[in-house]
Amino acid sequence: MTGYAIVLASKELSRVQAVSTIASVAAASDVPVEVFATMEGLLPFEKETVESGDFDVGPVGARMLEAEDMDVPLFTEQFAQAKEIGPLKLYACEMAMELMGQDLDDYVDVFDESLGVSGFLNRAQDKQVVFV
Amino acid sequence: MSETELDPDVTIDSRGATCPGPLMDLIGKVKEADPGTVIELQTSDSGSKGDVPEWLDEAGHDLLETVEHDDYWSMYVEIN
Repeated sequence: MTGYAIVLASKELSRVQAVSTIASVAAASDVPVEVFATMEGLLPFEKETVESGDFDVGPVGARMLEAEDMDVPLFTEQFAQAKEIGPLKLYACEMAMELMGQDLDDYVDVFDESLGVSGFLNRAQDKQVVFV
Repeated sequence: MSETELDPDVTIDSRGATCPGPLMDLIGKVKEADPGTVIELQTSDSGSKGDVPEWLDEAGHDLLETVEHDDYWSMYVEIN
């Protein structure tokens, strides 16, 4: 195994945040990580959603957003920071983008490119696949 | 307040940051540090007490001491 290929298919903030936390620490430790945001997993990355903070939250996600006594960087910041220091790549699913009538400009600037299923599978070949 | 005789070369103040903030701050400093460097990581995140040693174990560096203060911990790390 030479790293992780994470399929992110959930819009729930706790899941997205957990993916960014694990991916960021792995990449910072020089473990290669590829994140494929597909289906609902793309939605939290929409600029509009990030700017309004209108995420799909459970109790922990809600506490995270309202916590003033703790400094919790949002997944978008974590991804951006980790990409600068380690082997981390993010891909947006082409099909989900097409279904929603969107392109990469509609999302926060963390994606390396858009990708289809074959492209993702090629990148996942030598990695442990994690589905979230 | 506990005392230590360790005299760190670098001190990282990650107090107030939650997981993985302190660990990420530490990793950043470890990457640019020479062998023998002693780093003090200050963290108020109780999870760091378990998580930092786990990371150090895998990365091959030593945790010299963890000192408890009133509202944070100082973790002393030596780079190998």
